[in-house]
Amino acid sequence: MSLLEVNDLTVKFYTEEGVVNAVDNLSFSIDRGEKFGVVGESGAGKSVTALSVMRLIESPGHIESGEVLFNGENLLEMSDEEIRSIRGNEIAMVFQDAQTALNPVYTVGEQISETIRHHLGYDETEAKERSIQLLDTVGIPDAESRFSDYPHEFSGGMQQRAIIAMALSCDPDLLICDEPTTALDVTIETKILQEIETLADEFDTAIQLITHDLGVVADVCDRVMVMYAGKPVEKAPVEELYYDPKHPYTVGLMSSIPRIGDERERLQTIPGTMPDLVDLPSGCSFHPRCPYAEESCTRSEPALVDPETGAVATDDDEHVAACLEYTGELTDGLGYEVTVRDSSDDAEVETVAGAKASSAVDTDVPDAGGDRRD
Amino acid sequence: MRRIYESDALHRDDDPHTPNEKDTSRRVQAVRWVNSTLLSRLLLPTGIAYRAVSVDISTPNDEFAPGESVPFVVTMKNSLPTPVTIPTESLVLWTWTVDGVPEASHVPLRDPPDERGAFVFDRGERKQFHKRWDQRFKVGNDEWEAADPGTYTLGAEFNVPAADEKGLSSETIVEIRSD
Repeated sequence: MSLLEVNDLTVKFYTEEGVVNAVDNLSFSIDRGEKFGVVGESGAGKSVTALSVMRLIESPGHIESGEVLFNGENLLEMSDEEIRSIRGNEIAMVFQDAQTALNPVYTVGEQISETIRHHLGYDETEAKERSIQLLDTVGIPDAESRFSDYPHEFSGGMQQRAIIAMALSCDPDLLICDEPTTALDVTIETKILQEIETLADEFDTAIQLITHDLGVVADVCDRVMVMYAGKPVEKAPVEELYYDPKHPYTVGLMSSIPRIGDERERLQTIPGTMPDLVDLPSGCSFHPRCPYAEESCTRSEPALVDPETGAVATDDDEHVAACLEYTGELTDGLGYEVTVRDSSDDAEVETVAGAKASSAVDTDVPDAGGDRRD
Repeated sequence: MRRIYESDALHRDDDPHTPNEKDTSRRVQAVRWVNSTLLSRLLLPTGIAYRAVSVDISTPNDEFAPGESVPFVVTMKNSLPTPVTIPTESLVLWTWTVDGVPEASHVPLRDPPDERGAFVFDRGERKQFHKRWDQRFKVGNDEWEAADPGTYTLGAEFNVPAADEKGLSSETIVEIRSD
């Protein structure tokens, strides 16, 4: 049994503009100790998915259907008291903006020890000791004296570490990291990601890492789900996603990763923007931006299928993608090709778009999965 | 150094009887010390509220080529100098139609929670929503069909019973050319 199983989750926001289809029929599962990445542009529904798992969706948002099974129990059917005992304890979340997540009028130490006192029943002295120990673990220097500092006395990186300490304080089974390094510079980003990874290995915690940075996913995750306009468009083990992407959106994302030594003047980007989630285009939501779109893409919405067989995806399929190409409905096919080149110290994936795309693209994959070098 | 927290000068928000839920029913008011939205909801008869609000739908052209997106603008206006609240049947406050088909879909698009909604207009407020119809009808959960050339009626209406009779709907006609 998976640690977390999300089945057919649909979340909508009822606004004056219309109904926002934030998450549409989304299913995924995360095993114990697994590192699962969720990638996509802003507005793809990544954060709403995470907040739905924590049952933190507020009005005008509504979880319209689906189930979120955690250790076999449906979180959406639990009482408020039951969900509060799980939130922060068995499922913890690292929010993307640490400065907003921390309460400015309480000391950082107090905010960490409050969680420990509430969930683990420690007394004040024990909770303080554990908080100091956690601050030390996440790399806050002189943790004992920093315990009684206020959030504004911490730098951005330290605030993020404090949030991670708070999230790890009750040894959660699942840690949801919602763009934990977006607000940080790259050196701190690397340190924070290493810390999350090390700590997760140490505590055998499963991680759901939400990001729009495919490089971060390659470094950290075992499996990845790519989301577009509230729907999953591709799910695969991280190596397969990088070496053999099946969805044109994934290819577009990979092409837009900058690479050292790249001689192109401009990066290849995906033309256009994410559609308005109130007015989704008919057919495949990605078709207005897809260089390989055909008439059939405007009439049919592709389901997630096994790209090899074209059969509807099942839980056992490792690599699935939602594109009409794999059900034989595209006449010209997908015109990109991916070649993996050896270089002195890293593997490179070259994604060459076909005749219909505006230009060829060249993509570097930062250490996908860690050990495979073709 | 003595910290503010240690001085007990601050009230914790987890004391018993402290409200722990955000009250989303309150809106920021034009005159902050008078909750005129609530007052008008209580004092203004619904019939007058219906008469105070108008809706209009318009398109930039009357004719469109096949396959061309049809953009349209829905404008709603409260003509009263007080806030007005229109109670709606569900959380879907208004909808647009093509030949009477809601959002050009022959299949239900959503299953809203069993709750009534409220469409709130500030005093004299004008709301404008920009939408487009891509000349397709949704005919199955994942299937669409292109609309044939001909004349189509685009409409917009509040989600209230008999919106037509209450003057809370508007229509316009567009033609899809056959070229």
